[in-house]
Amino acid sequence: MNLVHLFLGALLLVTGFLAVRLKNAVHAALALAANFILMGVVYMLLEARFLGWIQIIVYAGAIMVLFVFVIMLLYAKEAEPGVDPLPGLRPAAAGIAALGFLALLYAFSGFKAPITEEAAQAALSGGSAEVMGPVLWQTWLYAVLLVAALLLVATVAAVAILRPGEGGKR
Amino acid sequence: MLILAILLPLAGFLILGLFGKRFKEPLPGILASGLVLASFVLVVLMLLSGGAKFVLGDWLPGIPFALLLDHLSGYMALVVTGIGFLIHVYAIGYMEKDPGYSRFFAYFNLFIAMMLILVFADSYPVMFIGWEGVGLASFLLIGFWYTDWKNAKSARKAFITNRIGDLGFLLGMALLYSLFGTLQISELRATVEESLVLPTGLALAGFLLFVGAVGKSAQLPLMVWLPDAMAGPTPVSALIHAATMVTAGVYLLARSSFLYANLPDVSYWIALIGLLTALYGALSAFGQWDIKRIVAYSTISQLGYMFLAAGVGAYWVALFHVMTHAFYKALLFLASGSVIHALGGEQDVRKMGGLKKYLPKTHLHGLIGALSLAGFPLFAGFWSKDAILAATLSYPFGGIGFYLVGLFTAFLTAAYAMRWYVLVFLGEYRGKGHPHEAPPVMTIPNDVLAFGAAFAGFLALPKPLWNLIEPFLAPALAHLEAHEPEPLVEWGLLLLSAAVALSGLYLGYLFFKDYFKKKVPAWYRAFEEAALEGFYADRIYNTFIVNPLKELAAFLGLADRGLDAGYVLAAGGVGILGRILAGLQTGYVRFYAALILAFAAIFVLWGVVR
Amino acid sequence: MNVFYLMVSAALFALGAYGVLARRSAILVFMSVELMLNAANLALIVFAKAWGSLFAQGAAVLLIALAAAEVAVGLALVVAIYRTRETTLVDDLSELKG
Repeated sequence: MNLVHLFLGALLLVTGFLAVRLKNAVHAALALAANFILMGVVYMLLEARFLGWIQIIVYAGAIMVLFVFVIMLLYAKEAEPGVDPLPGLRPAAAGIAALGFLALLYAFSGFKAPITEEAAQAALSGGSAEVMGPVLWQTWLYAVLLVAALLLVATVAAVAILRPGEGGKR
Repeated sequence: MLILAILLPLAGFLILGLFGKRFKEPLPGILASGLVLASFVLVVLMLLSGGAKFVLGDWLPGIPFALLLDHLSGYMALVVTGIGFLIHVYAIGYMEKDPGYSRFFAYFNLFIAMMLILVFADSYPVMFIGWEGVGLASFLLIGFWYTDWKNAKSARKAFITNRIGDLGFLLGMALLYSLFGTLQISELRATVEESLVLPTGLALAGFLLFVGAVGKSAQLPLMVWLPDAMAGPTPVSALIHAATMVTAGVYLLARSSFLYANLPDVSYWIALIGLLTALYGALSAFGQWDIKRIVAYSTISQLGYMFLAAGVGAYWVALFHVMTHAFYKALLFLASGSVIHALGGEQDVRKMGGLKKYLPKTHLHGLIGALSLAGFPLFAGFWSKDAILAATLSYPFGGIGFYLVGLFTAFLTAAYAMRWYVLVFLGEYRGKGHPHEAPPVMTIPNDVLAFGAAFAGFLALPKPLWNLIEPFLAPALAHLEAHEPEPLVEWGLLLLSAAVALSGLYLGYLFFKDYFKKKVPAWYRAFEEAALEGFYADRIYNTFIVNPLKELAAFLGLADRGLDAGYVLAAGGVGILGRILAGLQTGYVRFYAALILAFAAIFVLWGVVR
Repeated sequence: MNVFYLMVSAALFALGAYGVLARRSAILVFMSVELMLNAANLALIVFAKAWGSLFAQGAAVLLIALAAAEVAVGLALVVAIYRTRETTLVDDLSELKG
């Protein structure tokens, strides 16, 4: 356990906290983007380099751009105008989140790696694109194809939902 | 090819039933008629090629789905599809502009398909499919104008009355199966003719099958449904309740003739029931004022004649009468239909009369039909009825008593046929409105039927003249040795029955000529009133069977309602619970998400701590 | 180290859950959901490392692709709702209740 990990973990928590607490939606989105980039760095440190880059490109790049774009499109003024109709839900949410955190903490606390650190590093060989290729295109081939089809359907669906000329103002 | 003959009308039923509403008016009728004609042609071709057989593996354990076209089923199928085709064509005109036009023809084709299954069946369970199928088609068509409560009730009455007979059929089948281990007719026939086992069991089985036939053919005591069945459109009455379906009982007896030929006692009962039914129908016909009900009661009576013939053992004579009766009774119904059509739906003969002048063609059809029914010499009905009367003397299960009552009934038949004709066509027109002759699409089928009603009898003449029908059917029927009377005696009997028919016609004409002007004797009035209600058969059944059952049902209903109340109370508790739970349904997605997450956390906690 | 990142993952998941419940704007709720998804992904990667399994890393790639599809449809729905209702507050969509 070195300081780098500690520092990264702390930054993850801080950016995550900011993402759910900041009033300004653009600021929250930027905090979340930072969180995703940090997450990518953590992946690389955790012997998953290919995945780390994917995380940065897809999540921090594509998905967050979408979020920011939609925020800019819709929020001329503030993100959450008016008063909360469920005022009691905020403290309750904190309680529920704490409960969930405790449950997961309890579940994770006893975790022991089944193989040694060295054996794991040897098996993963850094999670580079070179070793991930056969996994994705052989072991997971059908799943990859299905996900590809799903992405296409999702794209078509997104266009269909927002087809101009329909669903005008009611 | 055999299965095709059945599938064609069935396909018509499916097409018209599913897409019929999209077709323009005459198209469903033309399609339906064409398919029946195709079936007719197929049957003719198969008969010419010497019969056909179709077996489709085991349908039930040990019971193959077997169809057979031999001379008997071929003969019957010719009547069904031939007469059926003519009536289909007639209905194209009769049902014109009816909102249920395509539905009507869908049902009609369903009926033809089911009737062909019944006829071609080579085993009793397969026959039972058709038996129930024609019952269903009959139910649907009697209640065709179902928006009128009365019609729907008549349809239910027909269906329920038939259930009694069907129960007999089912029990008979079960008994035959337990006796012989097979229900295939050809196998049963071989077994029965080889050795007569268990005569008592066999007699009971034969009697139970006969009960089935009684229900379907509206014999005493299950005859009450047929007059009410006239609630359906007239082509239905002609096709189902005169020409084909009601003769299914006779066909069943003929198919099972190998049984009945060995069962003199049961055959005696068949003949007796048939004779009584013939007399009952003829007497009841005198009291009817509805043009179709007169013909309906005459159908009951004529079916009685067929059962009489089958009972004395003259199976081919019964089938001969089935054919001639199909011609002249279909003709009578269709002529009645033309009259009703011409008068815009009027069915009461008291408001008819004198239609000879307005409807010359229909008048001719009605006259030929009535004369054939009455047994006017040389018409089809004359030859077949005389064959029945002669058979009561010559066949082994017959007797002089059967002959005498049958002869008296023939006299009554001639008289009420004349009554129908005179009240409808002669005298002064007693109604309002202007009758108009039916279109050619309705009169041409009637022309063909009239030809048959006049000349079909020449297919089977008494000895020493030719007889085509008996040798044609002989291979499929049980053989019973008839002691042939001297030709001189036979022709003497023929003359006697001709004289009886003629005197019936003449007296009927004299009596009903100006019925509404003269003073009618009091005894006849009383008789007429009793006959109007079919000698109170309905009232008797209502008092002794229907109403007690209704009381029982009401009592059981009361108990049921108590039970229901308990359930409703219990359900009320659930309703309160539901209202409480509905409070959770706030409509706020975040609230639901909070519930989901809270319980997810609790479950994870429970899972890891445990 | 493994357990440390697992705890971080649990904490991020809890933060995301809090965000889902506390945020009122549909887009911000949606972002919180993404945070939860990432926390789960992090846990998966940690386990992949602990077991030395490339198989699990492949699954994580698929998960990211699925998240991309989900975001595309989800944001389209948000925009569609905004077009018809002029709002993105999830509390304004509360007509469907018992």
